[in-house]
Amino acid sequence: MTAYLVDTVQVRPADVASYVELVEGDGVAVMTGAGAAFMSCWTTSAELGEDVDVQVTWSFGDHTEWNEIRKNLVLDRRWHDFARRAAGLRTGGTRRFYYPVH
Amino acid sequence: MLRRYEMYSLDPNASPAAVQRLTQSFLECGRFVPEVLDSAVGTNLSDAPVRLVWEHAYESPAAYQRYMVHPFHACILDRPLLADSPERIVTSNDLGAGLLGYECASPVYRLAAGVRRLVLVDLSPDRSPAAAARFDEAVARASDGVKGLVVSIVAENSMAAAWFDGVTPIAPPPRWSHVWEQGWESLAAFEGYRAEGREQWPGFVRESASVHYELVTPG
Repeated sequence: MTAYLVDTVQVRPADVASYVELVEGDGVAVMTGAGAAFMSCWTTSAELGEDVDVQVTWSFGDHTEWNEIRKNLVLDRRWHDFARRAAGLRTGGTRRFYYPVH
Repeated sequence: MLRRYEMYSLDPNASPAAVQRLTQSFLECGRFVPEVLDSAVGTNLSDAPVRLVWEHAYESPAAYQRYMVHPFHACILDRPLLADSPERIVTSNDLGAGLLGYECASPVYRLAAGVRRLVLVDLSPDRSPAAAARFDEAVARASDGVKGLVVSIVAENSMAAAWFDGVTPIAPPPRWSHVWEQGWESLAAFEGYRAEGREQWPGFVRESASVHYELVTPG
């Protein structure tokens, strides 16, 4: 089984580049260092006159594996710094876990 | 058994609905994760910088470890809690009591209704059993003959550093080495006790803090 962590956040158009740079830089380093795999980073259009959705997907084997990743993250100072900077750039968002149907 | 507490300060901008969802998820956790026992919550009434408290327990470290890998933990409980979650509504605080707890042989902490109080103490630099015994004696003096005090447990705060599996310390020693868990029949009983000023900690108690709240249980 593979499980997916999908964060869908709202970011002001002016902050999209900074947010994506943060995710693809420190975010990937911290998350993959903890054991997750980076799957994708997608955005909606910045030309719609509304905040942009940035959807980032990570994968791992199952919830046992996630528990280990979670532990590694909590013990990693870089994760707390990444989280603080990401929070400062987003205006809202959701976090969901997904699993393949088949 | 493992007795466990989580204490949170909340983002002042968090919506009441989001706070209610978190509160309900704590209260309903046992329906989805049967290993979680005796869930109750409360809103802190002391001046310590935390607002929402979740108290609960596990039959054993193995039960705790099953809770840790249950999807309800990651998907529902962690959603408003984890530092990097877009739905986070809790904040950092300097109490150093985000997670704490202790081992016990039976559910001696049980309190059907009333007021829960936790006294957090640091016996550093001497956290030895002998120092804990001296603290026990001080607690006995403070609580002797007190009316309305129906639960009184002094224990080492073993869960704070062993939060991953309930047994193995993986973090540095916590700010609070020991906890005195109290259960009161009523808020009036606790406030009457507090007004007497009986808690005179000896010099070896380096620092202390306390949290108390009226117990809210499922249903």
